[in-house]
Amino acid sequence: MPVNLTRNAIAMMNSGDVNSKPLVQVVDIKLIGNSQERYRFLLSDSESTQHAMLATQLNEQVRTGRVKKGSIIQLIDYICSTVQNRRIIVVLNMETIIPEYEIIGNPKLPTGSEPEANKSMPNNNLLEPSTRSTNNRYSAPAPANKAQSFQPTIQPAYQPPPNYKIQGPIMKNEAPARIIPIAALNPYQGRWAIKARVTAKGDLRRYNNARGDGKVFSFDLLDSDGGEIRVTCFNAVVDRFYNVIEVGKVYLISKGSLKPAQKNFNHLKNEWEIFLESNSTVELCPDEDGSIPRQQFSFRPITEIESAENNSILDVIGIVISVNPSVPILRKNGMETQRRILNLKDASGKSVELTLWGDFCNKEGQKLQEMVDSGLFPVLAVKAGKVNDFNGKSIGTISSTQLFIDPDCPEAQGLRAWFESGGRNTASISISKELMPGGSKNEIRKTLTQIKDEGLGRSDKPDWVTAKATVVFIKTDNFCYTACPLMIGDRQCNKKVTQSGNKRWLCDRCNQEFEECDYRYLLQVQIQDHTGLTWVTAFQEAGEEILGCSAKEMYLLKYELQDDTRFGEIIRSRLFHQYLFRLKIKEELYGDEQRVKITVVKVDKVNYSAESRYLLDMVTKNFPNRKQF
Amino acid sequence: MDTSSPAAFVNGGLLRMHVGRKVRTVIQVTRSDAGSVMGKSTDGCQLVVRGSPPAPLTSYVEVIGVAENENSIRAELWTNFGDSFDASNYDQLCQLANGELKHLFL
Repeated sequence: MPVNLTRNAIAMMNSGDVNSKPLVQVVDIKLIGNSQERYRFLLSDSESTQHAMLATQLNEQVRTGRVKKGSIIQLIDYICSTVQNRRIIVVLNMETIIPEYEIIGNPKLPTGSEPEANKSMPNNNLLEPSTRSTNNRYSAPAPANKAQSFQPTIQPAYQPPPNYKIQGPIMKNEAPARIIPIAALNPYQGRWAIKARVTAKGDLRRYNNARGDGKVFSFDLLDSDGGEIRVTCFNAVVDRFYNVIEVGKVYLISKGSLKPAQKNFNHLKNEWEIFLESNSTVELCPDEDGSIPRQQFSFRPITEIESAENNSILDVIGIVISVNPSVPILRKNGMETQRRILNLKDASGKSVELTLWGDFCNKEGQKLQEMVDSGLFPVLAVKAGKVNDFNGKSIGTISSTQLFIDPDCPEAQGLRAWFESGGRNTASISISKELMPGGSKNEIRKTLTQIKDEGLGRSDKPDWVTAKATVVFIKTDNFCYTACPLMIGDRQCNKKVTQSGNKRWLCDRCNQEFEECDYRYLLQVQIQDHTGLTWVTAFQEAGEEILGCSAKEMYLLKYELQDDTRFGEIIRSRLFHQYLFRLKIKEELYGDEQRVKITVVKVDKVNYSAESRYLLDMVTKNFPNRKQF
Repeated sequence: MDTSSPAAFVNGGLLRMHVGRKVRTVIQVTRSDAGSVMGKSTDGCQLVVRGSPPAPLTSYVEVIGVAENENSIRAELWTNFGDSFDASNYDQLCQLANGELKHLFL
């Protein structure tokens, strides 16, 4: 079937015509870009060719082979712009008409000078510019910023394939830039405008670095297609826009530069971030645009949070079932902040602990406390909470977190309906407690060689087992450490303290000095059963059970009184006692190697009656014909 | 370990299987006289143990001796087992020792 590509399509596109929907052929596809996946097409109308960048939202089509070399495609939506003196087309939307076809006609492949970013000498005759120089070009600010190099020219409707030698763009489009979806924004875009609602406004921050003082603030935008992007302003630009931007209002924004998003601070789903400049425009749109939602969430059910990665950022919504009072917490840098813990429950049958830090405690935290105290169970939506895996999985607020009490969204309504019709009374399991299956029913009993043979401790979560074994050796070097006795909230700090001066101790975390430190056990013990032996580590409580006295007493005996005889007697007297050890087994990285670390969580004396029953049960359960005793 | 005269683990019901032979059992003392002790076996039977018990006698005592008949033992060795004892565990032991796991015992 003969195919006719649109005549002179390339010239039409180059002359700025973005309304025709030409039929062209993909002569070549090249993957370029250092850090992002970007495809560059070489399009042909059977006579001339032109490079075009594929917008990232279309990358899938190349990956799945829906469009490939030789494909005949129709360009539905595209933009022409000029970067330095190269004409660049960006394809925003296209349709593959024929996936495979031999090259039509005799299209002239591109040649031409490739000036480096700072030189003007024509040098390369390369057909395809190197990746490095490509990035040089593309990372230059959009031509809109070089106001001084604009040369308005009347553009003829048709032109033969030109060989560009002039500097600057060929034409200046005075018409207002088209509003494009946020998802289509990219640094290769010549002129763009977006219309979006501000969903979050950051604080004005001042900073001081090698280049001097500065100030910065950011705000997040959401448009009607659900696209989100962060916008940042520095210094003078802050003065222009800080008071203009208000959360909840819709703005038309144009002429900013696009740079890769800083993933550490920017948790929006966009690889780019907008930086506004002196010529950027921000226009308030007073007509309430109902098509743009106020806020965009992607809530995860609490049960999914259990398997979420530590430090990942997510949104969650739940009913607040408990709120604890604010507690002052001393941070590592010595600054004090507030902390509040609450529990959220959702329809997945699980509940999660939410930790509010700083201002959240006094604002939303206080309000929630009052609501819960007066018998209400409010819905709380959290945007951008951070997952913490210290004790099971819990969520904490970060600077960019937003809390919404009883939001007006379908998920909140659904949650409220579930709660009122029974959800209130269903018990939920907390994912924020370290799973320590306790009680004799859930205890998993293992022998010491089973720990190694079965590879316990190798998965993501630690393994908890019980083993009956005898203490055969207690390491007496470094059996305890000097610990901080100060209280942090409801727990003792217990961080290792260092000596400062003579007879005084310093804790880094609490940033305080004191005369008396606490002594806590850090015992290395070897235990043995009928199958083998292994080293375990016992901390304070377990250590006290094993040695029968406090770490402080042992410390004084050995180091102050220097009574090695008595010390040795005590140690020897504690050997060869049999206990039921509750062990936490986890593989950890020590330097380069993975080693299985076993910690004693609890030490119980063997209850002979219960143990006998256990053994009898083990003996009889494997009989071929079970007898009822 | 002296294996010259092994004593079979018995409760009240199993005593009859070992009449005339060396046995051992634990009883809960119900009455104690000069020459004998009456007690409840771990399976609830009344047993008589002849001999001189130690003084004082705890609630539970183990006796090793020769089974005279199906409810009496002539004790040679008495051992106080204290005031708390898990009778059901011991009972299960006796049953295993005379039943499925007999081959593990002397």
